[in-house]
Amino acid sequence: MRLSRSILAASAALALIAGTVACSKEDDAAGDKQIDVWIAFTDYRLDWAKARADEFNAKHPEHPVVISGYDSYEVLFDAVSAAIQKGTPPEIVQYFEAATQDARDAVNKDGEPLFISVQQAINGRTDVLGEPVVLDDVVDAARNYYTTDGQFSSMPWNTSTTLFYSNKDMLEKAKVGKVPETWDEIEAACAKIMKLSDAPKHCITWPNHGWFPEQAVAQQGGLIADNENGRAGRAQNIDYTSEELLNFVKWEKELYDSGTYYYSGKQNDWDGPQNAFAAKEVGFLMTSAGDATAIVGAGKDGGFGVDVSRMPYNGDVPYAGNLIGGATLWLTDKQGEAKQDASLAFMQFLNNPKNAADWHKTTGYIPITKAAGALLEQEGWFTENPYQKVATEQLALANGTPAATGVLLGSFVSIRAVLTQAVEDVLVSGADPATRFAKAQEDAQKLLTDYNALYGG
Amino acid sequence: MPIYPLMPPLFAAVTLIGAFVGWTVWRNAGLSGRRGALIVAPAAFLGPFLTMVPLQSCTFEPERSGLDLGVGIAAFAAGAAVLTGATAWIGRALSKPGGWANLDDRAESGSFRGGAPAALALLLPTLAVLAVFLYWPLFETLRLSTQLTRRGNPIERFSCVDNYTELLGPSVEVWFVVPLAALLLVAVGAELARRADALGTGRLAPDLRRLRGWLTVLTVITGAASLFGPEYRSVFVTTMILTSATVLIGLAVGLGIALLVSQPIKGRAIYRTLLIWPFAVSPPIAGILFFVMFDPLTGIVGHLYEALTPWDMPNYRTDPVLARGLVILASVWKTLGFTILFYIAGLQNVSTNMLEAARLDGANAWQRLRFFIVPALTPITFFLVVTNVTYAFFEVFGTISYLTEGGPSGATVDAMFSVWQSAEWIGDGAARSLVLFVMVLAVTAWQFRATGRRVHYGG
Repeated sequence: MRLSRSILAASAALALIAGTVACSKEDDAAGDKQIDVWIAFTDYRLDWAKARADEFNAKHPEHPVVISGYDSYEVLFDAVSAAIQKGTPPEIVQYFEAATQDARDAVNKDGEPLFISVQQAINGRTDVLGEPVVLDDVVDAARNYYTTDGQFSSMPWNTSTTLFYSNKDMLEKAKVGKVPETWDEIEAACAKIMKLSDAPKHCITWPNHGWFPEQAVAQQGGLIADNENGRAGRAQNIDYTSEELLNFVKWEKELYDSGTYYYSGKQNDWDGPQNAFAAKEVGFLMTSAGDATAIVGAGKDGGFGVDVSRMPYNGDVPYAGNLIGGATLWLTDKQGEAKQDASLAFMQFLNNPKNAADWHKTTGYIPITKAAGALLEQEGWFTENPYQKVATEQLALANGTPAATGVLLGSFVSIRAVLTQAVEDVLVSGADPATRFAKAQEDAQKLLTDYNALYGG
Repeated sequence: MPIYPLMPPLFAAVTLIGAFVGWTVWRNAGLSGRRGALIVAPAAFLGPFLTMVPLQSCTFEPERSGLDLGVGIAAFAAGAAVLTGATAWIGRALSKPGGWANLDDRAESGSFRGGAPAALALLLPTLAVLAVFLYWPLFETLRLSTQLTRRGNPIERFSCVDNYTELLGPSVEVWFVVPLAALLLVAVGAELARRADALGTGRLAPDLRRLRGWLTVLTVITGAASLFGPEYRSVFVTTMILTSATVLIGLAVGLGIALLVSQPIKGRAIYRTLLIWPFAVSPPIAGILFFVMFDPLTGIVGHLYEALTPWDMPNYRTDPVLARGLVILASVWKTLGFTILFYIAGLQNVSTNMLEAARLDGANAWQRLRFFIVPALTPITFFLVVTNVTYAFFEVFGTISYLTEGGPSGATVDAMFSVWQSAEWIGDGAARSLVLFVMVLAVTAWQFRATGRRVHYGG
C-alpha cells in the first residue's frame, strides 16, 4: 500500500517536472521572436501597459510584445541580472531615474554594454515599422535628464515632478491671501494657520526622501556632484555640504523644531504625509505630481478644496528649475535588427500622442510629448482639470543648466539613503546640520568611490 | 599564496600551540602525549591555509592598516583552531580502542547491515539538499564577503577584508572596562571562596560562581560592542536589547498567562483559543497592526490616550526609546501565543502529587512556583528560549520593516535589518550576515551550556 503510494507520488512529481521542462522549452522556442518588456508596476499601470501591448500585437503580429510586471525596481533589477547571467535579458527594461547611471554601466554576460541608446538605434528615422517616432517630441525636462553624452539614451514613459498641495479651506479661514510660493511665505502662512482656534497639529509635511532636498538644491542652482552634476563626465565627488543643501535642511529643521513641519517618522514614507493631509492634520503637503489625482480626490472626500501649485522655493536666491522623477524604458543591445526595430516601434507606439494623453489621464504622470499635451488641450482636459497642468508648467520653467537637469550618480539609491538618514538625524536626534552632513558626505563619497572603482574603468 | 614576513612566526606559534593541545588532549585520554602532539601539530600548521589561501594573505601586505592585520590574525587563528579542534577530536577517538565508534554518543548507535555505502546512498538526497541550499550558499557568502560587488551587475573586485574592517573600530570604553574589572575581582573571589570552603557547604562560593557566570556574559557582550565601530555598535546593541527583552518579557508574561488560564475557571478553553491567536499572524502583519494602532496622528491608541489623559501621545517614530519599546511589544505580542501554548502543555505535566506534597509541607504559592513549577518546566523553557531567540534574531525583521523601517535615526536597526539595508552592496551585506552568523553561533553555544545544565527532563 505504502509502496504503491510512494510510486504514485514519485511519478506525479516526475510528470510535473517533465511538464515544466517541456513548457519552458516551448517558451524558449516562441521567445526567439518575442519582445519581453519588464516593468516595475503590478497595479492598474501594468494592466494599462498590457492593454497597449495587445493593441500593438494586433498591428504587428510578427513580434509579439509580452509585458511582465515586478513588485519593485529592486526586484526587477534582480530578475534582470539573473536573466543577464543566463544570457537571455529582456528586450526592454524599465529603470527609474536614479538608476540612470547604473543602466549606462550595466553589462551583459560578455562584459559589453547591456543597453544601446534609443536615439542611436532609431538612427534618424521618422518612423519604425510604420510607428511614427515621438522621441524628438519629448518635453525638454525629460529630454535633458536622459540625454547623456549627447545621446537620448532611453525612452521616457512615466515622468513626474514635485508639487505643492494646499488645503484651500484652511487658507481661507486663516486669511492667507494667496498660496505661498517661497519658503518665507510658507512660514508666514503657517504662523497664521497655527493661530487658528481649530488649528491642525502641524502645518506642513513632505516625505523624508532624497528627492525633496535634491529638488531644493536644483531650484537654488546648486550641484550635487562634480563634473557638472556628472553630465560633463563621470561624477567623482559628491557635495553634501553645499550651502544650497544646508539651506534647505536648516529650514526643514526650523520648521520641525517649531512644530510646523510634521515628520511621519519613517524614511521614504509616501503614504504617511499624504494621509496626514487627507485627515486635515496639516494644511500643506509637498509630494509627487503623480499623486495629484488622488490628493484632489481625497480633498473632495474629506470636504475641503485642494489647491495644486509649484513646489515652494528659496526666495532669496535666483530660481534655476525643478527636477523630474519617474522612469524610462531601456533598449537592450544585440537583439538583432528585426527585433530591435519591433522593440523601438513598441516604445514609440506606447508614447504616441493618443496613448501618452491617455496615460496622463489614467495616472497623473505628465504628458510626455508636446503633441500629447496639445491633444489634451484640444480635448479641454486642462480646462476641466487645471491642476493637471501645473507639473508640465513647472518643468518648463527650468533653465537647462546641469543644476536644473539633475545629477547622474552611480549607486544613487544607496547614496540617497545616506541623505535621508542624515535628514532624520538632524530632525529627530537634534544633530547639527553642518556636522551631520559632513559625515553624510563622507559616507556617500565612499559609496561613489566604491562604485567608480567597479565601473569607472 | 604569498608569504609575508609576519607569517612564519605565526605559523610557528600555531604549530607549537597545536602540539601542546595534542599533548594535553592525548594525555587526558590516557594516551601517549607525544603521539598526540605529532598528530595535531601538523594540522595546526595547515589550518591557517583554510583562510589564508582564499584571502591570498592580503591582510599581511605591508601597506595594510592595523585593523586589517588584526582581522587577518583572527582569520589565521580561526583556520588553525578549526583544523586543530577537528583533528584533536577525531584523532583522539581513532587512537583509542573502538575507533570511529568513540565519536557516537552513548550506546544507541548502530550500523547498517549493507555497510557504509548503503547508508550513504540513503543519505544522499538529504546531503544534496544541504549542500545546495545550505553549504554552497554559506561558502558563496564567505566568498562574497571579500568582494566589492553590487546587486544587479555581475562585476566583482577582490577587496580583502575591507567589508569586515568597515564594521570594526575597537575602542576601550568605560562600560567594557567596568564589567571586565568586576569579572576579574569576582573570579578571584570565587576561587578564594572555593578554597576556603573545602566542604562545599557554604553559600558564598556558589553565589560568587553564579555572579561570575553573569559577569562573563556581560563582559563578552560589552567586549564585542567595544570591538565594533560606531555604526555597527549601535546595530549590535539594538540587537541585544531587542532579543533579550523579547525573550525575557515574552517568557515571563507567557508563563504568567499560562498559569492563569490553567486555573479551573469557567470557559477557559475560549480564553486559551483567543490567547493563542496572535501566533497565527505573520511578523510583517504584526508590524502593520501596531503601525496603524500607534500612528501618531490617526492611531486608535493615541486617540484613547488623549481622551483619557491630559497629555499628547508621544510619537514613537521620533523617539528612539519608544520605538524600541514598541518593536519589543509587537514581538512579544506576536510570540506570546506560541509561548502560552507550550507552557499550558508543560503545566499539565507538572506532577500534582508533588505540588500537593509541597502544599502540605507549608510551601506558599510563590515557593511552589519558584521551587517546583519553574524547575519542572525547564525543558519547555529551554525550547522556548531557543525558538524565541531565533525569532528575535531573524523574524523581528518583518515587524521592524513595517513598524519603524529601522528608525528613528537607526534606533531599531538590528543585525538582520542592517543586512537588508546593504542589499545594494552585496559584499558588505555578506560580511554583515556572517557577523550575524557568528552572533547566532555564540548565543546558541551559550544557551546550550547555560540552560543545558539546568534542564531537568525527569526520569
